[in-house]
Amino acid sequence: MKKIDVLKPVLVSNKERALQNRKLFDRMNSLVINVIASPGAGKTSVICRIVEHLRPRCRILVIEGDIRGQIDSQRLKKLKVDVIQINTETACHLDAYMIAQALPRTKKKYDLVLVENVGNLVCPAEFEIGEDYKLAILSTPEGDDKPYKYPLLFHLARVVIINKVDLLSYTDFDVDRAIVQLRKQNSRVRVFVVSAKTGEGMKAAGDFISNDINARKKKVRN
Amino acid sequence: MHELSVTESLVDLCRREAEKNSIRKVKRVNIALGRFTGFSRDSIRFYFEILRPNSCLEEAKLKFREIPIIIDCKKCREQSEIGEPILICPRCGNADIELRSGREFYVESIEGE
Repeated sequence: MKKIDVLKPVLVSNKERALQNRKLFDRMNSLVINVIASPGAGKTSVICRIVEHLRPRCRILVIEGDIRGQIDSQRLKKLKVDVIQINTETACHLDAYMIAQALPRTKKKYDLVLVENVGNLVCPAEFEIGEDYKLAILSTPEGDDKPYKYPLLFHLARVVIINKVDLLSYTDFDVDRAIVQLRKQNSRVRVFVVSAKTGEGMKAAGDFISNDINARKKKVRN
Repeated sequence: MHELSVTESLVDLCRREAEKNSIRKVKRVNIALGRFTGFSRDSIRFYFEILRPNSCLEEAKLKFREIPIIIDCKKCREQSEIGEPILICPRCGNADIELRSGREFYVESIEGE
């Protein structure tokens, strides 16, 4: 009987593929944001608002991850941005391979790639796809305890958007309590309180992303 | 559910390593699993039972070593092990911390002949 040291991460192949995706995104000169939230939190609505806000200044690609259907991509195409739909069939998250297969084989460049992951607060957090960072969305009807219950995603996210504040009076969601809990898991997180439905707060979130796009370009130039 | 694809990755990695090191029968896979990951060892074991027949892992047992969540406080400079992922220094209450361990998920070694 012999013992062989391996010392390799189990998700090594996903990690390697994510790095390859990253190189491709770098060649496209894109800021890549992995948007993660539970089903119905308003991922597509938030993305639509960001697209509306940034489209005059940026070239945007949206990659839509859904178990089935084209509903979200059809919604986004109306905003006249490039959209790629991935149907995962059964998988509960996007992984680096799915992104690699879906990436366009064009030489087109995008300033911003928004990847809408499959609606789920658990699995997508573990699978890197080559993104610059994760953006998590938490909607008020879900309850302000979600950062406590799903610590990994809210720890890893650079940005958290609290959505559906227009419904606040119908829920027991306490925005301050949610932010206190978020900070306990992620002291550096940027939080935006918005309603994608009414547009409230979306300008600040859009401007933040716009700054990140510019900061990234500056970094590349230097 | 995501443990199926994760366990497939685990099986692939072990097969590659076994082949590379001329191990025909893997008897044991030693895995390090941090407490701050989204992976369940029970689910991994469940899918491993399904995936291992007709491979060099047919007789293999999975052995997990749990890795605690350890944080470094940037304010009081103390290092602490915490029981759950509330990432606050238990000594001074500061939230500006560095995660030292707890996110690991890797194969430490394989044993076989």
